[in-house]
Amino acid sequence: MKLTDRVQDGIVILQPKGKIMGGPDASLLHDKLYEYIKQDMRKVVIDLKEVDWMNSTGLGILISGYTTLRNNHGHLKLANVTDKIQSLLTITKLVTVFESYDSVEDAVKTFK
Amino acid sequence: MDKPIISGDTIIIPSSQENLADVDLFIEGTLRGYGVQESIIADIAISVSELVNNAILHGNKSSPDKAVTVSIARVNGSVQITVKDQGIGFNPEKVANPIEDANLLKEVGRGIFIVRSLMDSVEITGSSEGTVVCITKAI
Repeated sequence: MKLTDRVQDGIVILQPKGKIMGGPDASLLHDKLYEYIKQDMRKVVIDLKEVDWMNSTGLGILISGYTTLRNNHGHLKLANVTDKIQSLLTITKLVTVFESYDSVEDAVKTFK
Repeated sequence: MDKPIISGDTIIIPSSQENLADVDLFIEGTLRGYGVQESIIADIAISVSELVNNAILHGNKSSPDKAVTVSIARVNGSVQITVKDQGIGFNPEKVANPIEDANLLKEVGRGIFIVRSLMDSVEITGSSEGTVVCITKAI
């Protein structure tokens, strides 16, 4: 998995690419997310457009980021959720937890 | 054992998550060779990654002395995959339900649930010599 990150209007945009299945690649996403959280960046959008699929490890990273941000008055939102990931979110009922948007721009607008 | 070993329809890996990608490549490559459609390949790959993660972390406790063995076969219109570890076995009945409200925001505990949701059948056999999980999916 590769990961690109940027800040847009004070909002962190993380874009993982590939598969999130555990191990060192999954740690990359987790560590980058927490790097921003430590800098007090509390608005995060994860763009899942380039993620082929993820397993429960990937879901766990999303949940970890979500709860940490929420506990610090911040928020984590998802954008460009693929059909496969949407299916997993539905199966695991996490679709009731995460806000998902059709584009990064749509997600960013909700922070304003 | 330092590196994954592939022999026919089987891959054996050391108990490290660094080897997850090798298993994924092996499984997806084999499934494409069978002519399986991509959506089903993804479901199977996700399931195998869950089982291999469990075998490494929970079964073998990431011990470098222990291996995880993954075998794949085409059987009567389905694919059958077996994942074995060298741990002490586990009781799947003791895994909490991840979709109960109290567990929804837990970061772990969804692996077997996801496998059961995506696969047609899941058989788990535990013994003092390890756990064997056999999954099947119609292709």
